[in-house]
Amino acid sequence: MADLAQAQAGATMPGQPYMELVNVWKRFGEGDKQTVAVRNVDLAIQPGEFVTLIGPSGCGKSTLFNMIAGLLPSDSDGSILVKGKAQQDGALLGKVSFMPQRDLLFPWRTVLDNATLALEVEGMPKRLARQKAEALFPEFGLKGFEQHYPHQLSGGMRQRVALMRTFLFERDLILLDEPFGALDALTRSMMQRWLLDIWEKHRRTVLFITHDIDEAIFLGDKVVVMTARPGTIKCQETITLPRPRDVSVVTTPEFMEVKKKLLAVVEEESLKTFASATMRP
Amino acid sequence: MSLQSAVRSPYAAVLIVAALWLVCVPLFSIPPRYLPPLPAVIADGVSVWPDLAAGFWRTLVETVLGFLAGSLLGITFGIAFAASKTLERAFFPIFVALQTVPVIAFGAIVVIWFGNTILAKVVIALYLAFFPVAVNTLRGLEQADPQRIALMKSFGASRLTLFRKLLLPTAAPNILIGMKLAVALSLAGAVVGEWFGDTVGLGVMLLQALYFELIPRVWVLIIACGALGTLLYGALALLERRFVWWRPD
Amino acid sequence: MASGLNALRSALPVAAALLALLLLWQFGTTALDVPAYILPKPAEILATALGRIGFFGGELYVTLVEAVGGFLIGSVLGILLAVAMILLPVLEVMLMPLAMVINAVPSIAFVPLVLLWFGLGMSSKIAIGALAVVFVVLLNLLSGLKRPEAESINLLRSFGASRLGILWRLQLPAGMPALVTGLRVGLARSTIAVIVAEMMGAYSGIGQVIYQATAQVDSLTVWAAVFVASLGSLALYGVLVALDRKLVWWR
Ligand SMILES: Nc1ncnc2c1ncn2[C@@H]1O[C@H](COP(=O)(O)OP(=O)(O)O)[C@@H](O)[C@H]1O
Ligand SMILES: [Mg+2]
Repeated sequence: MADLAQAQAGATMPGQPYMELVNVWKRFGEGDKQTVAVRNVDLAIQPGEFVTLIGPSGCGKSTLFNMIAGLLPSDSDGSILVKGKAQQDGALLGKVSFMPQRDLLFPWRTVLDNATLALEVEGMPKRLARQKAEALFPEFGLKGFEQHYPHQLSGGMRQRVALMRTFLFERDLILLDEPFGALDALTRSMMQRWLLDIWEKHRRTVLFITHDIDEAIFLGDKVVVMTARPGTIKCQETITLPRPRDVSVVTTPEFMEVKKKLLAVVEEESLKTFASATMRP
Repeated sequence: MSLQSAVRSPYAAVLIVAALWLVCVPLFSIPPRYLPPLPAVIADGVSVWPDLAAGFWRTLVETVLGFLAGSLLGITFGIAFAASKTLERAFFPIFVALQTVPVIAFGAIVVIWFGNTILAKVVIALYLAFFPVAVNTLRGLEQADPQRIALMKSFGASRLTLFRKLLLPTAAPNILIGMKLAVALSLAGAVVGEWFGDTVGLGVMLLQALYFELIPRVWVLIIACGALGTLLYGALALLERRFVWWRPD
Repeated sequence: MASGLNALRSALPVAAALLALLLLWQFGTTALDVPAYILPKPAEILATALGRIGFFGGELYVTLVEAVGGFLIGSVLGILLAVAMILLPVLEVMLMPLAMVINAVPSIAFVPLVLLWFGLGMSSKIAIGALAVVFVVLLNLLSGLKRPEAESINLLRSFGASRLGILWRLQLPAGMPALVTGLRVGLARSTIAVIVAEMMGAYSGIGQVIYQATAQVDSLTVWAAVFVASLGSLALYGVLVALDRKLVWWR
């Protein structure tokens, strides 16, 4: 499977985006009760790019992710293309490495077996899958915790297990839905630097949801801002900060400038969400 | 989805099963020894109506009295166990063991003690209801989150306030689970208690039907027992909806 | 070493409480001069049980075989039905009404029918034991299999898992605690149902012993039989607790 994905990746024509969303919509319910969760989203993701997606909560980010992962059919208005080919409903299942908002570790599996879950589903023999995962434990800071159960781990460690599970499922595109949302600031900034290290090493295409502007700028090649619900893309900002990045980048004038710009946009959208929520009867 | 939820409603279930019964018996010519036709069962039920009504009422009273007394006692013991670690450590394992005793066997002993009075059946129903309620009350009270207890204490809550405002609501869903188990057991206890000698009650009629091999009558009584059980269970479900409207986390 | 010490420490208060209760019973009945037909002394009960150990053991064996047989058949049926229903929702729509209606009737009400159909031998007891278990296991396991949220199911789907893969890796393990609850309730119900069926009509078994002894107002035998039966079901319960640890090994 991994080889096949590699071969397909090789077939990407120069300059052609890895994935394109063209006029993607998602509506829930019928008639009066209809909620438009995602509206007219156009987005191109280049191979090897780290794209961060930011927007107020409830704006449809997770819904968009579910469609990209093939879990939720998008409405028939638009299409999702991978290397120029339109994807039918469900065709993306098993093709994208997806990490949901909650870690969703299985309480009955050890840390090691949670990490190998996707490999097992793929049909890899358990022995082989474990060998492969064990090699990653030091890198993910989990050495010695292979035989622990999830309830014995801290929040940051659980998140790293979920990340390892995602990384072991080797696909060209990785979707990360607010992976550090529940962590404290210190742990989060450590995890961000660590994620960048891992990414530089493995160089996969990443789409990363966050509601933290600093995080979006620090990690991304490109920051995509979504509007309040119904979510659509408000603006995109290419980040030219040099890589590899470390903490000091956060205090540079370039960083501050981008942040100021994005802050204004995001603030405006958050206020809209807040206003519509408080005005509701 | 809506079909599935419609089928899950108890009224629909009864109707569907009745319709199946009506259709399948003649269709597959099932011998009456296994399943008599529904009209025959209904006719038999009508023919013994006064006895049936009296028996239903008697068994209902026995079950309810025993169930209520047993639940009250069970909740009291559950609270006592939760309040005293020593008491719990000494007696709770004995309770768990006693719970596994085929309690209906005590029916015989209780009838020796109380004779063929209604009290005997009530006591059997009580005994059966007691254990599940006590065990589930204790489990529920123990489920209270220590952090929430600490929070209440930081507000200066007394033991009684802590119990009323936090522990009891936390335990309520579990207590109701115990009571639902208990009500079915109480009914079984009342019915079996009647076998040790009585003249009125669904259990008595069941025994007579067995001796005279009246198969339609047995089915009448199965339906009556099912209706009685469902009635009591439904009452508890209503109680649950009234007092445990929140979702335990 | 430490675990042995801990076990001893937790066993001590229980043993003390048990001893206190037995002593109270023994000397209370002596002091108040309670006649044996009302409440025999524990020593007498133990003596009766031990004195006819071969007889009680044989009867208990019959009851246990019936209870275990019924329990196993009923549990396997319940598990198979639950799995079939989760894989084929049509089956659930079709069979659930029947299951709910039968489950609403206390299983002992079916005892006369089962006796008329299967006779007074062991097969009628096994049948009633199975009937007492099958729906509790079915309903509990089914609700357990449905417990995992859509998010977890979606995670597996995003890995490309099939329907069976989701059942095996997620729904079955998540349903284990509910299954164990069903088995525990079912075991208690099937033991009761078997003993009740034996009381109503049987050639042998603890229930029959109790019934006959009651008719002869032989309360010592009744108590001894209850004592022996309790030991038996306590043993079954112990097996189930061990099984619980095996099936729900995490936390
Ligand atoms: N299955 C669904 N049915 C109806 N509404 C939904 C469903 N899933 C999401 N929504 C709605 O769509 C909106 C976007 O949700 P979501 O994508 O989870 O937001 P975000 O991840 O950006 O916080 C929310 O208002 C939510 O209520
Ligand atoms: Mg979200």
